[in-house]
Amino acid sequence: MSKHVVNPDLCTACTVCVAHCPVAEVVREYRGPKLSGPASERLRLLSPQDDASLDFCSNCKNCDISCPSGVPISTLNMKARAKMWEGKPEPQGRKMMAHGEQMGKLLARFPGAASIVNLGMGLGKSLGMMDMVGISSKAPLPSYASTTFYKQFKSFKQKSFDKKVVFYPGCTINFNQPEIGMDVVKVLQANGYEVLVDEEFVCCGSPLVVGGYLGEANENARKNTSLMNKWRAKGYPVITACTSCGLMLKQEYQELFHHEGMDKNAENIYDIMEFLSMLDDEDKLNTNFGQVNDTMLYHAPCHLRAQGMGLPALDVLSLIPGYRIENAAAGCCGMSGSYGMQANKREISLKVGEKLFNRIRQAGVKSVVSDCGTCRLQIGDGAKVQAIHPVQIVARAYAAK
Amino acid sequence: MKKSDVVVIGGGLSGLFAAAVAAQNGKKVTVLSYGAGSLTIGGGIVDIMGYADGNVPFATPIEGVKNAPEGHPYTFIGEDTVKEAVEAFKKMASAEGYAYQGSLDEMQWIPTAVGTLKPTALVPRTMDVAKMEAAKKLVVVDLAGLKDFSAPMAAKNLGLLFPNKTIETVKVPELEKSGRDMTAFDTARLLDRADIRTMFAAALKSKAGKDVCFIVPPILGTHASYVAFDDITKQVGAPLVECAAVAPSVTGIRLRELMLSILRKQGVVFIEKANVCGNIVENGKVVAVTTKDFGRQRTYRADEFVLASGGFYGAGITADQENVKEVVFDLPIVAPARVEDWTNAKMFSDAKQPFAMIGIAVNEQLQPVDAEGAVIYPNVRVVGRNLAGYDFCFEKSGNGVALTSAYKAASLIVKGGKA
Ligand SMILES: Cc1cc2nc3c(=O)[nH]c(=O)nc-3n(C[C@H](O)[C@H](O)[C@H](O)COP(=O)(O)OP(=O)(O)OC[C@H]3O[C@@H](n4cnc5c(N)ncnc54)[C@H](O)[C@@H]3O)c2cc1C
Ligand code: SF4
Ligand code: SF4
Repeated sequence: MSKHVVNPDLCTACTVCVAHCPVAEVVREYRGPKLSGPASERLRLLSPQDDASLDFCSNCKNCDISCPSGVPISTLNMKARAKMWEGKPEPQGRKMMAHGEQMGKLLARFPGAASIVNLGMGLGKSLGMMDMVGISSKAPLPSYASTTFYKQFKSFKQKSFDKKVVFYPGCTINFNQPEIGMDVVKVLQANGYEVLVDEEFVCCGSPLVVGGYLGEANENARKNTSLMNKWRAKGYPVITACTSCGLMLKQEYQELFHHEGMDKNAENIYDIMEFLSMLDDEDKLNTNFGQVNDTMLYHAPCHLRAQGMGLPALDVLSLIPGYRIENAAAGCCGMSGSYGMQANKREISLKVGEKLFNRIRQAGVKSVVSDCGTCRLQIGDGAKVQAIHPVQIVARAYAAK
Repeated sequence: MKKSDVVVIGGGLSGLFAAAVAAQNGKKVTVLSYGAGSLTIGGGIVDIMGYADGNVPFATPIEGVKNAPEGHPYTFIGEDTVKEAVEAFKKMASAEGYAYQGSLDEMQWIPTAVGTLKPTALVPRTMDVAKMEAAKKLVVVDLAGLKDFSAPMAAKNLGLLFPNKTIETVKVPELEKSGRDMTAFDTARLLDRADIRTMFAAALKSKAGKDVCFIVPPILGTHASYVAFDDITKQVGAPLVECAAVAPSVTGIRLRELMLSILRKQGVVFIEKANVCGNIVENGKVVAVTTKDFGRQRTYRADEFVLASGGFYGAGITADQENVKEVVFDLPIVAPARVEDWTNAKMFSDAKQPFAMIGIAVNEQLQPVDAEGAVIYPNVRVVGRNLAGYDFCFEKSGNGVALTSAYKAASLIVKGGKA
């Protein structure tokens, strides 16, 4: 069904990916994408191999972005790693981070639970309990919002429009940053769209893949795909506002799994900034913006760059009067999902992000814009600035009118 | 994406330079690139024309351009344009703080990793061969743990080339513990750090002195700046000359950084992982190209298009048993009729490889033409390794053809038509 065959033989051994891997740059024990991905895959196809080096891969996809031959290097790594971990003891931290959705769902059921857990995580960090399960006590961890996006959405009065879209918030926005989801809704409303949500959707599965839980990820993919099929049949576009969810739903599903409709759904899923930028192309974007007198830096998430759509946030934000934004172009932030939250990866993650942090400090800005939730966490922690989603600026510009 | 003035397909040197020249002249440019281009492996040294048929070196690069064989891209790029392009490139690089040296009137014979010499035209300051030629003693740096470079072998071969010079090696201990083989690029990354530079310079200092020149692999920093190079040179107190080496290519990575930085300043839109695979034609003109990978097809509209997709090596031209195909516009390919005739049986002979000459036929405006010479799309220009009729590897002309054809294409676009 998927025409994207995971074929290591596409590799010509040119080494371009090695030069672009941010982890290989800072970790000299890591053999790098070419060897751990396609080169080892050929051996793995003959007989199972353990490669301890695979543990270093952050699934950031810079290898895929640089490869001239279309080798799905990072996915080869993720598959091989899951296989390697199969049947071995699961570290508690890895399990927890792969299953963030379970925690979020649990907390959402009890009023006040989120703040207690946030406090608990803070305490756990200070008591070193997180380190004991493999989660870094030095890493910024996402805190849980007191009211989930889905709950806030229910009490929001929307204007009704003929044009409808379905918003897929993903775990980060639903449980941790619902305010971004609400801005997505407001911005779409300002453009004449009515927003639907579907609470049947589950986690895209990206954290599960990284944690080696391919079977569970496949279940999520099956479930989401059948729901997406339904919305596509109705002719409603699906909107995401997390670039890792977007990448997973559109690309990694096709690389990893086989469910009817995945490829067609990939054509029907839009990142919110891409959606706005496309409206602008057709001169249909509501550009009735007020002044936003601010200067910020933009960090392009690797998982956005991997999608081949350019940087639509820059296209849209450059339309706002008074507002100035420049692309940091300083590479990977180092967080890559939950990679930088692992106790034994925190230091690597900060080293990878150093170029970006320096660039931010040099620019002297107070706020950085980025489309990815974990990039924002890392930037906030590493460069001590406020980090926001581009749609929040758009919402601010509408509100300023 | 809103319509651009120019869409460039390919992010190798020819695409990046065409974009820079067009943008510098006020054009709104979008670059679509799938993969990082061959600069990462190919090298940032600009060969113009090194060897004539029969492996005879040209006296100067411009001699090579003037005497390019029939059908060679230089014959329709033209000598004047080659000169302008070289000047434009040097000016651009110098304005960014990473000046290139060399000219069309002097062949630079730079050392390779195995201690032979290869002819080229423009090099970064880290490869100032005059320093090597002037020295009485060459000291080859032997860095522990570095792969793809044998200092004793390089020293031995340099000894054969320069019988009147004293040749030595100097051992440098491993700069940092490593769990894998260190490439020149890994080492260059270490030397981006001031503390490592001090260590490195200290190891060389004992052999420094009057009339000494150090020969090093390309490791003197990864950035398009001379900060690392100048710092090390100052600390050592004697000149260092980098040699050309294998992939990943440090000089190529520096040049790529330089070009990308220029493009950013000029507001060029650079789209990564954009797999261009189709086009839209209206009234005989291309109005858009399309990309497709995992999601939707995306459309990029423009008035003018530059096809810089790298030919066979860059995947702009693909081949299977029956078909050779240009992937974006399905342009005709000039190739020997029988696949068996593609390779010269003597792989390392002193003749060009027919398969290397395979490419797209163009007219003097770099527009693609059919077998009868008729223009296929007037607003498409073909540049770099896409062009038919030259073997960059044999004659040493790769980045030269890339830069000069890109300059010509961009200039034609800026001038709005014919040269
Ligand atoms: C190992 C090696 C060493 C070399 N050393 C030297 C040297 O020392 N000096 C020298 O002068 N020359 C050297 N060369 C030659 C030189 O690198 C090339 O001739 C020149 O850089 C070619 O540039 P280009 O822009 O035409 O192609 P490329 O650099 O190949 O760029 C093509 C670009 O197009 C992209 N692309 C292809 N198809 C598509 C598509 N469908 N959609 C989107 N993008 C696409 C590719 O991914 C790539 O980014 C070397 C080459 C090699 C391989
Ligand atoms: S996904 Fe990132 S860390 Fe993993 S090999 Fe690729 S570039 Fe390196
Ligand atoms: S960039 Fe692609 S083709 Fe080159 S070595 Fe890496 S995987 Fe192989």
